[in-house]
Amino acid sequence: MSRAEVEARMEPGGDRLLERAAELEALDEALASVHASGQGRLVLLAGEPGMGKTSLLRAFCAAHDDIPTFQGGCDPLFTPRPLAPFVELADAAGGRLAARVARGRTPADVAAALVEELPRRRPALLVVEDLHWADEATLDVVRLLGRRLESLPLVVVLTYRDEHVDRGHPLRIVLGDLPAAGTVRLALAPLSLDAIATLAGDETVDADALARRTGGNPFFLTEVLAAPGAEMPGTVRDAVLGRAARLGAPARRILDAVSIFPPRAELALLEECVPGYHEGLGECLASGMLHPEGTAVAFRHEIARFVLDAELPPHERMALHRAALHALARTLPPDPARLAYHAEGAGDREAVLRWAPVAAERAAALGSHREAAKQYARALREADGLAPERRAELHERRSYECYLTDQIPEALAARLEALAEHRRRGDRLREGDAHRWVSRLRWFLGENVAAERAAREALDLLEELPPGPELAMAYSNISQLRMLARDCDGGIVWGERAIALAEQLGEVEILVHALNNVGSSQLQRGDPAGRATIERSLDLALAAGLEEHAARAFTNLASQMVETREYAPADHYLERGIAYCRDHDVDSWRLYMTGWLARSHLDQGRWDEAAEAATTVLRYPNPAAPSRIKPLTVVGRLRARRGDPEAWEPLDEALQLAEGMAELQRLAPVAVARAEARWLAGEHDLVAGETGETLAVAIETEDPWAAGELAVWRRRAGVREDPLEVEVAAPWALELAGDGAAAARAWFRLGCPYEAALALTAADGEEPLRRSLAELERLGATRAAACVARMLRSRHGVRGVVVGPRAATRANPRGLTVRELDVLELVTAGLRNREIAARLYLSEKTVHHHVSAILRKLAVPTRGQAAAEAARLGIAKR
Amino acid sequence: MNLYVILRRSGWSSAEELGDAAERSTRVGEQMPDDVRWIRSYVLDEGAGTVGTVCIYEAESPEAIRKHAGRADLPVDEIIPVADTVIVRPDPQPATV
Repeated sequence: MSRAEVEARMEPGGDRLLERAAELEALDEALASVHASGQGRLVLLAGEPGMGKTSLLRAFCAAHDDIPTFQGGCDPLFTPRPLAPFVELADAAGGRLAARVARGRTPADVAAALVEELPRRRPALLVVEDLHWADEATLDVVRLLGRRLESLPLVVVLTYRDEHVDRGHPLRIVLGDLPAAGTVRLALAPLSLDAIATLAGDETVDADALARRTGGNPFFLTEVLAAPGAEMPGTVRDAVLGRAARLGAPARRILDAVSIFPPRAELALLEECVPGYHEGLGECLASGMLHPEGTAVAFRHEIARFVLDAELPPHERMALHRAALHALARTLPPDPARLAYHAEGAGDREAVLRWAPVAAERAAALGSHREAAKQYARALREADGLAPERRAELHERRSYECYLTDQIPEALAARLEALAEHRRRGDRLREGDAHRWVSRLRWFLGENVAAERAAREALDLLEELPPGPELAMAYSNISQLRMLARDCDGGIVWGERAIALAEQLGEVEILVHALNNVGSSQLQRGDPAGRATIERSLDLALAAGLEEHAARAFTNLASQMVETREYAPADHYLERGIAYCRDHDVDSWRLYMTGWLARSHLDQGRWDEAAEAATTVLRYPNPAAPSRIKPLTVVGRLRARRGDPEAWEPLDEALQLAEGMAELQRLAPVAVARAEARWLAGEHDLVAGETGETLAVAIETEDPWAAGELAVWRRRAGVREDPLEVEVAAPWALELAGDGAAAARAWFRLGCPYEAALALTAADGEEPLRRSLAELERLGATRAAACVARMLRSRHGVRGVVVGPRAATRANPRGLTVRELDVLELVTAGLRNREIAARLYLSEKTVHHHVSAILRKLAVPTRGQAAAEAARLGIAKR
Repeated sequence: MNLYVILRRSGWSSAEELGDAAERSTRVGEQMPDDVRWIRSYVLDEGAGTVGTVCIYEAESPEAIRKHAGRADLPVDEIIPVADTVIVRPDPQPATV
């Protein structure tokens, strides 16, 4: 059977594939819905290599050839060209789209070009293939498109190999960020025995053996069936090699040449590598191993290219890359990423050193920092004979790119190399600056002692030289370390030194950094002027487009406000800050702030939102340790309060992370979370151990909120000790003084219902305990409620108190369920059923059902009267 | 993903209500396939027509279970992690969902 015949069998009926009817139907449905609603739909198409993702799309496009289609694929390269699929897709489309994408300097530019230049009045199809290979900039464009999808009449199909995309993969994170509602997820399954039998047809091939060998993989099947009579290949690799072996020598030379040009080889380039290529090309095309793509040829399947590339003897591969490099070097404009790739393959050291850094710079400019880091690494591999300054520079740039992509250990290693170079050359200025960077990187790794030492070394070196920006930054770095250690005086003194020098030198960035440190220290010591100081830093940063600094300013403003329980301004800064980070792609700060958002939600009783925010951060497999501690404590506390399993895993991880850092701001929130979890579990005797050391540090650094919270947990656990000799924040102080009722009032005023409920347990009498119980049940704090129920029993002999979600229903007068209360709240706000359904993620039918139940339970005939009755009864709102 | 038992005692006042709940559960589950996977449920006779369930789910975390339950309007009484599964005999005929 020829390959063409096999492929005909795979696609019976011309445009129908074997066993892909359901997937084609799903694609048709998505297209129909875009026609009907004008709103975009996202289709995620996953499958192992060779499952037929491309074939499926080809069939779909063939069935809808009247729909404008825009298609691009990601490079199967270790260092893919940034934005490759969009460049490909735009080039094919031509016109304004091509021009705008070519001019685009950032992913935002490219996304805007797509949004504005793709057809708006009729549905269109946008396909991006092989996203598991995507570079960062491409992923950014995908994310940006996803946010605008609702307003574009597009079917966007993204394909990827799901075996590649494990938890840590950047694509997985982007997929998690894309809109979920309306997204169609397709996963291509292997062909069944029936289908395999159909394919094999009347061949004397044992369908069972075929199924076992190929696992139902369509590509593998095609390869096997196209070489009948031959012994069945053991693997896909054998199948591909077997196929290639059947071609003549000229054709095989072509295959080898094309294999080093992922994803395709332009004919002009092929000419250079294999002069007289027309001889073998015809056979390649006829065999079906290669197919034409415009003015280029490509393997019909990447698997085949990959196998043949790997099979090349090293000297042949080098020779081919050399020819490719030679040919490419003559085309304009030069494509540095491609040139660097071939240069490395050719073993051409000079060419690598020429092109890899350029490719890195270009990638960095587009925000593909991962690719930039890899290109610098590629250059550094050849950098032995380079001038030391140049080598040091490459190390420093690589360090910076690694820093931006959260590869901190690599960033540190590269910076240390640069430092060694500077020291060898006696360049004390650059050496000092490198020490300052090392200090910052060590802090990220939680190595505080080493960070302080490096900061000192930077200072010692730089103070001996005429003052310049490096010295100002060294001052500011020390001020930051002091501030983080809660040494307020130190933070302010060093920060002011940095400010003075920065203003003198006109260095805005350093000024912004130092103002932030000083303002944070001011706030920490309770001086409200700190807020204005950080606001000044923020304004300067925003005006100068200093994105990381602006993000840091938002973060420090928000976190300080949350710590002092001023939630209104805190939430305001968090909202603005997170939106800013999202718009400017400042991921690490966005995550850090999201952790604080989780804490803010938790404190204010919005526990579902708290869980959502915390989970968002913890999903990222490798954020710098500081970002994880907050959300881990939030999740641990939630689970402990609700009686959910696995409360100690996050709390233990948080402790481990915090212990490495020895900074109060890390230890205290972990200690209070663990103390609370112990108390909820009835392990009062362990609370003292969890909190002793941290309380001592809190007293030493005069932190009124941390000291108060730690002391209160100890008191609740029955620890008898002398009153603290340091100022304690009001709500905590009231409870320490024995006035639980006043403490609860203070907490309610601050907007902290859970803290209020626990404070009530320190008040006298049965009534406060009952109030506490009701509040804890409303919050869903089942375990905490059980503790309070036990107190009612032991202190006041009250028995038969029911605890649990059903109790919440019984607690409200007309027996409305929690969900009915949600619906009632929105009815009272005047929303129609359809709007309520959208808000609460329910169907309209379900909402209608709830409204009927509400009217029945409240014994009223209309929605308006339901609202009035609810107000009259004072039915608790969430 | 880990395996969890979810208790939803006396969650619904009729089998019909439970049927609606099952539909919601499936629909919401399809929107979050990487977070929760509904494996099976046993419907509990809680007396006077009231029913509850013991549900087995694969989930990323207890929070994912609560998020799914919140969106699908299902009660959650207790979440218990499954340490091990021991099958002694196959189930009698289950109802199809």
